[in-house]
Amino acid sequence: MPGYHSKLVSPARKIGNIAFLTFKTKVRGPITTLNPEDLVDNEMDIIDEALLYFKANVFFKQFEIQSDSDRVLIYLTLFITECLKKLQKCTSKDQALQEVYSLAVSKFDIPGDAAFPLNSVYSRPSTLEEANTMRGYLNQIRQETGQRLVERVFDKETNKPSKWWICFAKRKFMDISLSGRGQ
Amino acid sequence: MILLEINNRTIEDILSYKISEVESNTKLELVDVTFADFDGVIFHISNLKDDKYKIRVSIALKFYKDLQEHGADDLLQREYGSLLQLPPEEGYNVTLLFDLKNLPENHQELVKKAGLLKRNCFASVFEKYFEFQEKGLEGNKRAVIHYREDETMYVEAKPDRVTVIFSTVFKDESDVIIGKVFMQEFKEGRKASHTAPHVLFCHKEPPMELQDTDALAGDKIGYITFVLFPRHTSKKSRDNTINLIHIFRDYLHYHIKCSKVYIHSRMRAKTSEFLKILNRARPERQTEKKTITGKTFVPTPYYPEISGTSNK
Amino acid sequence: MANHLPAIVIDNGTGYTKLGYAGNTGPQYIIPSSIAIKETSKVGDQASRRLARGIDDLDFFIGDECIDLNGYSIKYPIRHGIVEDWDLMERFWEQCIFKYLRAEPEDHYFLLTEPPLNTPENREYTAEIMFESFNVPGLYIAVQAVLALVASWSATNGVQSLTGIVVDSGDGVTHVIPVADGYVIGSCIKHIPIAGRDITYFIQSLLREREFNIPPEQSLETAKAIKEKFCYICPDIAKEFDKFDKNPSKCVKKYSGVNHITKQPFDVDVGFERFLGPEIFFNPEIANPDFSTSISDIVDNCIQNCPIDVRRPLYKNIVLSGGSTMFKDFDKRLERDIKRLCNARQKLSTQLSQGNITPSQMNVKVVSHSMQRYAVWFGGSILASTNEFYTTSHTKQKYEEYGPSICRHNPVFGALI
Repeated sequence: MPGYHSKLVSPARKIGNIAFLTFKTKVRGPITTLNPEDLVDNEMDIIDEALLYFKANVFFKQFEIQSDSDRVLIYLTLFITECLKKLQKCTSKDQALQEVYSLAVSKFDIPGDAAFPLNSVYSRPSTLEEANTMRGYLNQIRQETGQRLVERVFDKETNKPSKWWICFAKRKFMDISLSGRGQ
Repeated sequence: MILLEINNRTIEDILSYKISEVESNTKLELVDVTFADFDGVIFHISNLKDDKYKIRVSIALKFYKDLQEHGADDLLQREYGSLLQLPPEEGYNVTLLFDLKNLPENHQELVKKAGLLKRNCFASVFEKYFEFQEKGLEGNKRAVIHYREDETMYVEAKPDRVTVIFSTVFKDESDVIIGKVFMQEFKEGRKASHTAPHVLFCHKEPPMELQDTDALAGDKIGYITFVLFPRHTSKKSRDNTINLIHIFRDYLHYHIKCSKVYIHSRMRAKTSEFLKILNRARPERQTEKKTITGKTFVPTPYYPEISGTSNK
Repeated sequence: MANHLPAIVIDNGTGYTKLGYAGNTGPQYIIPSSIAIKETSKVGDQASRRLARGIDDLDFFIGDECIDLNGYSIKYPIRHGIVEDWDLMERFWEQCIFKYLRAEPEDHYFLLTEPPLNTPENREYTAEIMFESFNVPGLYIAVQAVLALVASWSATNGVQSLTGIVVDSGDGVTHVIPVADGYVIGSCIKHIPIAGRDITYFIQSLLREREFNIPPEQSLETAKAIKEKFCYICPDIAKEFDKFDKNPSKCVKKYSGVNHITKQPFDVDVGFERFLGPEIFFNPEIANPDFSTSISDIVDNCIQNCPIDVRRPLYKNIVLSGGSTMFKDFDKRLERDIKRLCNARQKLSTQLSQGNITPSQMNVKVVSHSMQRYAVWFGGSILASTNEFYTTSHTKQKYEEYGPSICRHNPVFGALI
């Protein structure tokens, strides 16, 4: 069965071959402006899935992409690892939110860029406009994921990151990482 | 391992394990183990009336009656005192009862003692006759212990010595030979150590002392006579003597078996040596030979040469 | 037959030897299958090196006593379940009998075990040693997998059958062995390179990432203790992770150890490794990048390779044996997974036949019981305390009349106890 896959039905719209999924967010970006009424409140969105499956999936060396939503799941899983690397150095939740925010909005690679690790299975956006949408979409989803992750990782009482999350910072999902070597 | 151990490890293991469990407050499980020891002895360790904290150690000896005649009960009473449970568990001769809730301080000693249960059962007869000898009493009846189905032990006291005679049966013909050689070594042993007791070995026929008894004679029967002098039976060395002599029969058979094991490993070494030689063997190269008339000579039967072993 | 002394049952495994008297529920001794000997010189081949003088051949130790000996070299006469060094094996047995069991071998029948696919020659060697060196009155050599089946009869849901598939997992290797009517289907045996030791290593690596209180030299033994005390099998790891996140106080356990050197106590939080450790049976990929087939797939595959007429009985009697199958709910998970595989296959065949074939539901049952850890020995203990054992064993008389070849075959018995 290796790995847990996204159970969300891939929507018709996609950018490159990434599913363009809606999710609950207050962050500005392409999503809220699109179709906020699509989502029922307590239903899992892609970020919930990524956070739920993260710990299990991160152990796997292989992952079969079964849908366009899975591409988002993979991207988020890799991004969560990056966040954890930052979080392990944080001493308070406020600092953590700062760190995650700056990580999310810092310059990052999108499919098609030379440094993007999964170019073989992610297709390059065909137009400049599409590339901009993709960057905006990923930016938005990164920010939202970072916020939700911090909520889970930080212990309300001690205001410290939980070791039950930090211990996964060193694991590499499928042996790849969004950051280059040595970072 | 040259000498067999005289204590029973299984008893000690089970008891110490149970005690350690009690000490660390682990929940106890019921125990029910039956196991054997040399000379057809059966031990049974179990709980008294399903009380997990009361552990019985029982021993069954086929020849306990013989031992009772020579004061086994008294000796056990002396050694184990209040541990003895009377009457013993049904089907067994002696039962020791351990109450894990009220263990005395010296429980390690008790465990050691329990491991020596069989030895202590045996000890009475020796102690009694050693005592006779010390006091110079003569004319006592010879003690006869049928310690195995067809093997018997005789103990007799004279003012200057105690004679212990074992009869033993060899199951295998090669055992007889190895046994004889082994006993020969024992006789030789006296030359090396002057304090060793006299050992005599007779094969087939019982020794002179037993001429008038029902002692069996036969091809596979051997008799071993130990003549123990006061230096062996004195209070100081008595315990050691008993330790060694009560298990002598098993010791002898153990060494017969060890010798066979040793012979086997020599045989295996030799076989692999021969195999190496065989592996080197090559067929003889055929050279064409001509007869006087010029015809080719074909040697008829053909044997491969085995290098290294051929008689050239 | 009532006046027999109890038979002796010895199960020689690669790692540990289990020995004891028949009729008991557990072996009296579990000792490493190792022997420490002195080698006289460094030159020459093995045989000539060993030839000792005088009484040196008695100077050796077996089992736990091998450790911490100076001047001895430790040897393991059994490799992959098969005896490789008969000299040492013979001496190993010598001490098993005289030092540990304290038995006169002439008085007791013996039941020894062998791995599946043992060679008939090895049975002859065993017989030679037992009958000629030790003069045993009777000998029976039983296949370990068959004994594991016998042991499963004690399970509440067990059936008295000699047909079943044995999943035997010890410390070093895991085997899946199909048995039909007491005979091993040798061509269908499967090996899995995942066993107890791999779980320990995996737990050790997980702890290393998170717990920094453990003294490095004690990390392996800590991992082993945690494995034995806290591990279990979960139905679904993602859900289990979620459960741990939501309710850490209930799920996370504490392990307390003592540093051997400083004597300082240390505490370890035991978390995900509780279920991740044994999970490597079902998802080997998470620990071992080279092997990714789940144990359920292997068992299913193994049965599918067997002759068609035994497949249903095999699915019905999947028996666990060995210490590494002792994890809680191992049986449930295996049963569920195999059921899923079967149902999927049957659904497919219904589909392919366009509804013409509807196979009856496959009855999948995994049998688990309290004697699992020493199942092989326990099975031997059951068989060797029956009267049939005494009539089926090869006797010394027969051996002397016909020679060691009679021990090549050990008839199956006990099917109808």
